[in-house]
Amino acid sequence: MSGSSARSLAKGSESPKPVPEGLIRVYSMRFCPFAKRTLLVLKAKGIEHEVININLKSKPEWFFSKNPYGLVPVLENSQGQLVYESAITCEYLDEAYPGKKLMPDDPYEKACQKMVFELFSKVLTRKKTAFFGGNSLSMIDYLIWPWFERLEALELTGCADHTPKLTLWMAAMRKDPSISALHTDVNALRGFFDLYLQDSPEACDYGL
Amino acid sequence: MSGNATKTLERGCAPPGPVPEGTIRLYSMRFCPYSHRTRLILQAKGIKYQVVNINLRNKPEWFYTKHPFGQIPVLENSQCQLIYESVIACEYLDDAYPGKKLFPCDPYERARQKMLLELFCKVPYLTKECLIALRNRRDCSDLKAALRQEFCNLEEILCYQKTSFFGGNCISMIDYLLWPWFERLDVYGVADCVDHTPTLKLWMAAMKQDPAVCALLIDKSTFLGFLNLYFQNNPDAFDYGLTC
Repeated sequence: MSGSSARSLAKGSESPKPVPEGLIRVYSMRFCPFAKRTLLVLKAKGIEHEVININLKSKPEWFFSKNPYGLVPVLENSQGQLVYESAITCEYLDEAYPGKKLMPDDPYEKACQKMVFELFSKVLTRKKTAFFGGNSLSMIDYLIWPWFERLEALELTGCADHTPKLTLWMAAMRKDPSISALHTDVNALRGFFDLYLQDSPEACDYGL
Repeated sequence: MSGNATKTLERGCAPPGPVPEGTIRLYSMRFCPYSHRTRLILQAKGIKYQVVNINLRNKPEWFYTKHPFGQIPVLENSQCQLIYESVIACEYLDDAYPGKKLFPCDPYERARQKMLLELFCKVPYLTKECLIALRNRRDCSDLKAALRQEFCNLEEILCYQKTSFFGGNCISMIDYLLWPWFERLDVYGVADCVDHTPTLKLWMAAMKQDPAVCALLIDKSTFLGFLNLYFQNNPDAFDYGLTC
């Protein structure tokens, strides 16, 4: 029940135990880009956590008491507090835990990152710095990354051919320790997508 | 070019000069609910600000240098920094200015307010669609039923919390972010959608007691005058009710 590589919990599974003190739990799914955001931030901030993977094709009934929308990611702490919506979970982790702040302190810089997140496609043509938030990697880069990781698996890297800055950004991102630690194998992603498109309940556990 | 009750700028109008120090400028439109959010925060925090109203049907060319899609609201400060997207603008004001913090300090409570905002997210679309349907004399019973359902979800939250406001027993950011659409229920013709949500109605009454909400309340006949002209595609709609 602990690792990011554990089999998912499905319909009929027992409700998990309360979260032990000192840990935070993330309800996730190995191939979900939204959940990947949260995992990246947990890793980048060195936050001690446990992962419960959810079978999104056959959701446990108890999961709706964690998130009424029934979606991952969801954070649960030892006080039973629940946070969902990927961007909200990421910001919560940044605010609640010590260590390196991923969001800038300056109110304007923080607002800029949020505007960037909203106007993603416009920024691609205007970006002048190495990373989306400036010259070093920050929150916005982690929020965007999971989709680019998937470009390879979906054989869409051609999209990045006309955007050399983006290609450079992808190369720089792959060197980041948190990103390389959580790298999803291209073949695993492809295997997942194939099964997912066939509506197979085995999709979420592909490769285990 | 100072207050909310000023004529809009349109194509051909000269751009306004730089924002003087000690003040912040809001590009707005008197009847827009998204701008209304930002004006509520400016008011609630006692921030010194000036308003530039934009004719949304005939935008000045220079306005696209303030926002890539020419949307309001946009904040501009004396350092020429631009902030847009209503929620981002509201959060920026709370972060950048002193005085009472409208967002809670506790990270979990902050997250809860943001999750509540997600719960609300269908309301702007549904109220707008009801307005358009009613103005075009189309049936909107399905839309109204959907809107009632959204209000039930919000009612549940208030009942569960047993608090007067969405963030607790004092008014806070989330209440201001939701308010503009509730103020518009009557003029949009969907006031009956809160008939079965008494706690939500109590919240609306409590909101109307708030000084910032009161200071910015839009006169009903002025709003109806605007809506009439707007739906006739009259470009003067945005200046309806202004005397000079």
